[in-house]
Parts: sequence; structure tokens; C-alpha cells
Amino acid sequence: MGLDRRAFLGLVAGGTVGAMFTPIPWKLIDDASIWTQNWPWIPRVPKGQVDYVATTSKLCPAGEGLKIMRVAGNPILAGGNASHPLSCGGVSALARSEVYMLYSPARIKSPMKRNGKTFAPITWEQALVEMAEKLGAAKGAVASISGDNTGTINEVLTALTAKLGSAGSFMMPSEATTAAKAMKLMGVQGQAGYDFENADMVLVLGADIFETWGTSSRNRKAFGANRPAGAKPANTYVYVGPTRNNTAAVCDQWVPAAAADLGVVALGIAWHLLKAGATSNAPGFDTFKAVVNGGFGPEDVKRATGIAPETLATIAKALASAKAPLVVTGSPFGQGLGAAPVIAGMSLNMLLGRINKPGGVSMLPELPSVVPGALTRAAMLDGDLPAFLKGVESGKTPAPKALLIYDANPAYGLPEAATMAKALEKIPFKVSFSSFMDETAALCDLVLPNSLPLERYDDVATPYGSGFCVYSLVRPIQKPICDTKTTGDVLLGLARKLSIDLKFDNFQQVIKEKVASLTKVSGGFVAKDVMPWQVAAGKPAPALVGGDLWKALEAGYAWTMVGQAAQPAMGFAAEVLAKAVKAGKPATATVLAPYAQLRTGTPVTGMPCQDLTMVPDTELKGDTTFIRVNSETAKALSLKKGQSVKLSGAGVDCQAKVHIFESVMPGMVAAPLGFGHTAFDYYSQGKGANYLSLAAVAEEPGSGLSMWIAPEVKIA
Amino acid sequence: MSGQKKEFPITWGMVIDIDKCTGCGACMASCQTENNVEPQREASNKLRATSWMLVYELTNDKAFPNHDIAYLPRPCQQCGNPPCVSVCPVIATDKNENGGIVSQVYPRCIGCRYCVAACPYHVRYFGWYDPIWPEGMDKTLSPMTSVRPRGVVEKCTFCHHRWTQAKDAARVAGKDPENLDDGAYVTSCVQNCPSGALAFGDIKNPKHKVHELVKSPYAFRLLERLGTETQVYYISRREWVRKLGDNYLKSE
Ligand code: SF4
Ligand code: SF4
Repeated sequence: MGLDRRAFLGLVAGGTVGAMFTPIPWKLIDDASIWTQNWPWIPRVPKGQVDYVATTSKLCPAGEGLKIMRVAGNPILAGGNASHPLSCGGVSALARSEVYMLYSPARIKSPMKRNGKTFAPITWEQALVEMAEKLGAAKGAVASISGDNTGTINEVLTALTAKLGSAGSFMMPSEATTAAKAMKLMGVQGQAGYDFENADMVLVLGADIFETWGTSSRNRKAFGANRPAGAKPANTYVYVGPTRNNTAAVCDQWVPAAAADLGVVALGIAWHLLKAGATSNAPGFDTFKAVVNGGFGPEDVKRATGIAPETLATIAKALASAKAPLVVTGSPFGQGLGAAPVIAGMSLNMLLGRINKPGGVSMLPELPSVVPGALTRAAMLDGDLPAFLKGVESGKTPAPKALLIYDANPAYGLPEAATMAKALEKIPFKVSFSSFMDETAALCDLVLPNSLPLERYDDVATPYGSGFCVYSLVRPIQKPICDTKTTGDVLLGLARKLSIDLKFDNFQQVIKEKVASLTKVSGGFVAKDVMPWQVAAGKPAPALVGGDLWKALEAGYAWTMVGQAAQPAMGFAAEVLAKAVKAGKPATATVLAPYAQLRTGTPVTGMPCQDLTMVPDTELKGDTTFIRVNSETAKALSLKKGQSVKLSGAGVDCQAKVHIFESVMPGMVAAPLGFGHTAFDYYSQGKGANYLSLAAVAEEPGSGLSMWIAPEVKIA
Repeated sequence: MSGQKKEFPITWGMVIDIDKCTGCGACMASCQTENNVEPQREASNKLRATSWMLVYELTNDKAFPNHDIAYLPRPCQQCGNPPCVSVCPVIATDKNENGGIVSQVYPRCIGCRYCVAACPYHVRYFGWYDPIWPEGMDKTLSPMTSVRPRGVVEKCTFCHHRWTQAKDAARVAGKDPENLDDGAYVTSCVQNCPSGALAFGDIKNPKHKVHELVKSPYAFRLLERLGTETQVYYISRREWVRKLGDNYLKSE
């Protein structure tokens, strides 16, 4: 085009004044402006019939059901599914990305083999041969890591690892791993499920329940449903944690407390409840009482946490007088918490009589497994990956000869990144099944890209935090765009090559069998007209019509079940509390208070392309991320607004700029996670720093669990 | 403000419950993909980034521990008396259709940016560059919204295409397209907000939830004293939040 808009406008402006009164120039301007916009390099929108199909988000850990809008059969937009109990119509920014991430520049387009410092594409057959050979040779020392907390793929992965001679099958650390450890120490089985829908007073200890903790979209819908706009809320939420994060921003009260003190706060509240006469038949109550009365009186707690005695007394009173109080404990950044604070929080639920009650906590049973020789979810969650890798790094634990990495990015998403990277280096053969070129894939010998959730069969079984058992289907609604395969199929193909019998030929069969197994679980039903929280509140559960389950799941409904597994009474695990929770002196060092947000993706997705726009310029500007301190801390550390600083911890340095934000506790440095990628694409790479790498891992006394909840940092 | 509020039988309005907004940004993500806004690599430059829906962080300006924050999602306010319309030399933006949605006709826009300057709510964005999608991602463009070339101004349209679709769906179902059920037409952000912080409907229709919501004693509009008579309402039980909705002098 010879004439651009600007030149054209100049031309028009030169000679028109005299012709203002005739309509012709106006008509010409209109025509010409249409013509100047006829630009062939602007993409055209697709045309064709519009329809909607259902699936479930797998990229977003909140597990929302999705309705995908398609045009001529191609997915266009991912929206919430109003009939799915974990969405109720809502979707996170991350779940929204399921469609456009199909075309993420970070996608791995074909299987690849390391060739010195770079990768060379290979065929799937070559990949299988190579893998069979290397894994055959590594027999007896094969480890696996999964970052998928909810998929039946873990059964295939762990069964195969076991048959190859397992050196350990690990889950990436998360809220679920911490909670599983706590429940084990309290002597119960199953996954703690929180019934927000029926609770009227919720005390949130640390957990960012409306952002990164568990079924966050569902948690928010439950929160909002009882808070009609402009009217008096029918529930009360109190948040305890180091910053007024996204959760605290909408809670009725924020009680500032260091993440390291969450257990102290819980036991401080227990003190008030005990004083008011709370009691329990549960094992260990007497020891618990002695521990609480011995060191968590109002003055002890005040000295340790700075929280005024009246504050905790009022919260205890509100909990005791609520109809359906609920206490939920977690890490403000979704990982790194010890088991003891979760035990302490759970003991409040026990004192309040909230176990297996509507609006309380239930120990949700695991769904039946279908792949012979697979680890249960509980067994997988029991592994301690940071401890294992630290052992490998120091030489205390023999390094596995081969490592299979599924849906996980340990080179980026673990604390003490420098140590973890050294440990990974010691493992001679590593395979990543990542869909995106992440930091871990970049270290591997083989990269065998998984198809994305919209291109494969997969499933979501009871994400951590859900108040009920829930199962929903992920199904292919688009042919793989690149030369990728469903990892389940690849692993089963590999098993065949190695003459290992895993019972199934392809992953779709595994999923079908899983669904068939659900029809045998008593009490299960399809959430359609009746939602699981209504059943928890007393409404009869509808019957399950067996043959239709697959169809119902395909249509986007979820299978659900309410109530907990039959089991021995939950104990107080007071001996763990005695060792791990101490109302000591407040920390004098500067403490990192990381926070995570779904809009910056997960370690596996990197920054979703559209989401950079959502990041405020007080969090990322240019290529620098900001830490947040309040003005008191800034003064104490001589920091100025906008100043460039260096943070050091765990042998790593990170750059940052300073943002003054008053809703951070004194002495704390709040730092956003999800930045500082060295891999992925231009939306992620080089944007800020990965502050998780500053966190040193310590062992929690009493439980032995790795924890990194309150890392000390130096600022210069 | 000169000019008069334009009245229509239907008045599409949004009511935003600030007390439920966590600031997650899901509404922005919903909007961008619904309306074919390109993924922006340098989005941290807020002077250049386009976001029809933008979540602002409000603060009560107090020091710890009395500090408080709130999040304010900001679409086009669809002013009843829109300052942007009166300044447009080519009538590329107008308020002339039942429903009261302020239109934006891209092929007509000459990019003079008067409206950008006139809009008191900063909801208008000028395309400084041609939009670029990563290779292949243009296959996920929505057919409901056209792609804008550089050089024109764009803004939130209350997902106007969804209204057209809702009317069509009503016709097919034998219902009255001019009297839609509550919820039959909602914008993408309203539909997807995980907190349920946003509500949408015809403010004049007593059968629609928003009809009552706008009468809440906690409801307010942004910069009400300008007389723009916006169709977006906010609700907060916190007084300091409501006060921030307008430019008050310290003494008021
Ligand atoms: S999606 Fe809802 S909660 Fe999130 S920022 Fe938008 S309005 Fe607020
Ligand atoms: S908010 Fe701005 S763009 Fe929207 S109608 Fe009002 S003046 Fe015009």
C-alpha cells in the first residue's frame, strides 16, 4: 500500500477547509478510512459453525470444569462450566489459557534428543528405542517425579517405575504433600477435604485459599455465594498470614503473623478454646492439653508473634459460637509448610468438633486404582522430593541412574534451586515429558512432549482442598497440533517394548477403566441437579445410573461423593507439636514472604501469553520484579521506593526493585513467585527473578519433613 | 458537563462488588481473549498495554497495620452522557442504540485520539502497533470481534456480540429478544469471574438482579460529580472505598 494512514490524513488536512459544506469529502474520508484499514497482514478471524464442548482444566491446579467454544471444530475460548462443582461458572486466568496455550511459542514441537548443548528432533520410534535401551540398563535405579496431583497417569508412571526397579516415585511438593504428612502423623487416612460451602466462620491460617490453595475457584464461589453484594455477609472469614494477599484482601479480618508462626497462632487459639472448656476423646488429648497450656498462653503467643491476646480471644470466641466453624491451614505460597502447623490447625477443628460434619473437614477416601502395581496417592505424597534431591546432591543418597519427569519442573519450581540443579546433574539419564520447553526439559537427555490437555485423554480426581471426592474427565477436542503424544500412551508403549505388563494398551483404556471403577463406589453420584455440598448438608444423594457415567462426564458433569472413609479416630499428634511448634522470640533477620498467583502460571506452564497484561507494574516493570516491604521495614533497612537491591539466600542472589506496600508485616519482604524463568518463551524468559531459589530447605523437627516456609534473606 | 443523559428502554449495566474482588485478573484474561486483544510481550509498560478491562489496586493510604486494600475492575463505564462521544469528529463512537452501550466503529475511527483524552476513566486504548499473535495462535481468534489494525482506538463494548447472540437465542426459543431473561446476556468477565464479584443485566428491568443492586446504599459510581451518569456501578461496604470513587477535597 503506497499511502499510509498518517500521510493520507496530512493530505486531507491540506486542502479541505473550503469543501466542508459538501458531503462528498466526508463520504470520501469514510471510504478511504475503510480502505486504509484493509490491511492484509492483520489476522482474519475464523469463520464456521460455533459450538461448545466440555472438558476439565488440567493446566490450572484448581481443576475447573470448562466449556470450550469452538468454531468449525477448532477451540477458540475456554470459559467456566456452570454445572461443574469446581467451577460453578468461574475460571482462573490460568484455566482460561488452555486454548491459546496450544500455540504457545514455548511448545515443544516434536520428540528431541540432546546433542551436546542443543537438541535434535528424533522420531517417536527412535525415542522409544533409546528410552527402552537406557531404562533397561538403569534397572533397579529408576526414579520418577510427577507434578500432577490429580491424574490417573500417576498410576501408569509409578507402576512402570516400580517394574523398572524404583529408586523413588515422587510428587512435586505442594499443599497436598504437607497435608498428607500431617494426616499420617495424626493417624488417619485420606485427603483432608474442606466444606467451605456449608461453613459460616472460616479461620484461614496462611493458606491462600482464593488464589493458589487447592480448589481455589470453587473456594471463591463458596465464599461469594453467602455474601450477597452490599448485604451483610452470611459467613465470616479471618485470614492469618504475613501479607494482605488476594485472600486476605476480601476477608473480614487480616491478622498479620509470620508464616513461621502459624502453628503458634493455632495453639494460641487452642489455649482459649481449652480454657473455655473444649475437650475431646481423641487419642493424645491430654498431651495436647499439656503442650498448649505449657507454652501457648496469651502472653507467650504475644511475645512470639506480636498478636494481642484480645485478638486471639475474640477469634476463639467467634469460632466457638459459630454454627459451622472451619479452620484451614496452608502455606501463603502454596508450598514449604511443615506438617506441624497443619496438625495444629486441624486440632482446632477437632476441639470444635468439626471432623466429618457439614461445613467441617472430612478425610476423603482415595478413588480405586486400576493399574496393577501402581503407588497409591497417599504413598506418592509420602515421598519428600527436596530431601531426596538434597541427599543425592550431598552424596548421602545414591543418585538414580535414570529419572522420568512428568508434568513437573523441579529445576525451577523447587526451593534451593542451586542444590537441586546440582542433584539433577548427577542423574545420568533424564527424560522430560513436558509440553513446554521448561528449565527441567532443557536439562534432560530426551524430551518427549506430552500433548496438551485439549489434545489428550486425562482426568482430574479430587484436587487437594475439595470438600468432596470429585472426578472429571479431560478429553481431546482437537488433534495434536505438533508431533506430540499423550504421555500415558508413550509409557504404555515403552512398557510393551520392555516386555512389562501394565494391563493396558493405551491410556484411554486406563481412563475408561477408572470411570468404570467409579460406578462401583457406593454413594457416588453425578453432580447435576444436586451438588455435593447440598448432600453434605443433608439432601439425599441421587442414585448413580452406571452405564451413563462416561457420557455424563463427557458432557462436563462431575462424579462426586460425599463423606469420609471409615477409619480410626484422628489423634492430636501432640508429640510432633511439642517438638515443632515453639513460641520463641520473633525473628530478627529479614524474612522472605513469597506469594504466588495463578496469573503467573505454574512452574510447568510458565507465564501464560495473555497474562503479562494482568501483572501490575508494581510487580514487574521491564525485566525487573519488585519486592514489597512496608515503610517501617524500608526505613529499618534503609530502602527507598524504586531502589534496586540484591537479595541473597541459599547461596543464590536475585535482583529486585523496592515497592513500598503497607500490607506486609514489618521485617518481611514479600516477593512474587512465577517470574525469573530462563526457559520457555519471550513471555516468560528473563522477566524478573525466581525468588523461590533463595529459600533454604530445613528439616522440620518431629516430622522430618522438608520445609522452607520462612526463608531468611539478606538485602543489599 | 454539557449534554444530556441519553435514555433507552433497555439500560445494560454492570454492578461490581468490590468487597468480593480478590484482584486475580481472571476478568482481564477473559476479556482479552474474548475480544481478540493480542498477547502483549511488553505488557509491563502500562502506557502502551491494552486492557479493556483493568483491575486497579486501591488503598486507604494508611500505614501498617491500618492499611487496607481493595481491587477495582474497570471496564468502559458506558456513560449515559459520554464525554468521548461529543468530541469524536467522525462519529466513530456513539451512544445511539437501545441498551446504551457506547459503540466504537473501528473502520470509521481516524485515530485522532480526542476520545482517549476526553474519557475521564482512561478506558480507551490507541493501537500503537499492529497486533501480532505468536505463530498459529490466530487460529484461536474469536469470530465475534474484529481484529483492529494499528492506528485506531478501541475499548470495552460490554461484549456487544453476546447481546446479539442472546437475542438470536431468544428468537430461536420463541422468546422476546427485547425482554431477555436475567443472565441471558452477560459479558465474558462477568461470566468467568471466579468470585462472582460481577453482575450484569438491564438496570431498568425489575426482573434483573442489577435493578435492585444499583439501589443499594453501598452502591456508587465513579466520578459521579462529572455527571457522566455511567452504567457501571460499584458496591462496597467500606466507606473509604466509596469515597475514593470520586475526587473529594480533604475537607469534605
Ligand atoms: S475476575 Fe473477579 S475477582 Fe478476579 S479481578 Fe476480576 S472481578 Fe476481581
Ligand atoms: S467510560 Fe470513557 S469511553 Fe466509556 S463511555 Fe464513558 S467516556 Fe466514553
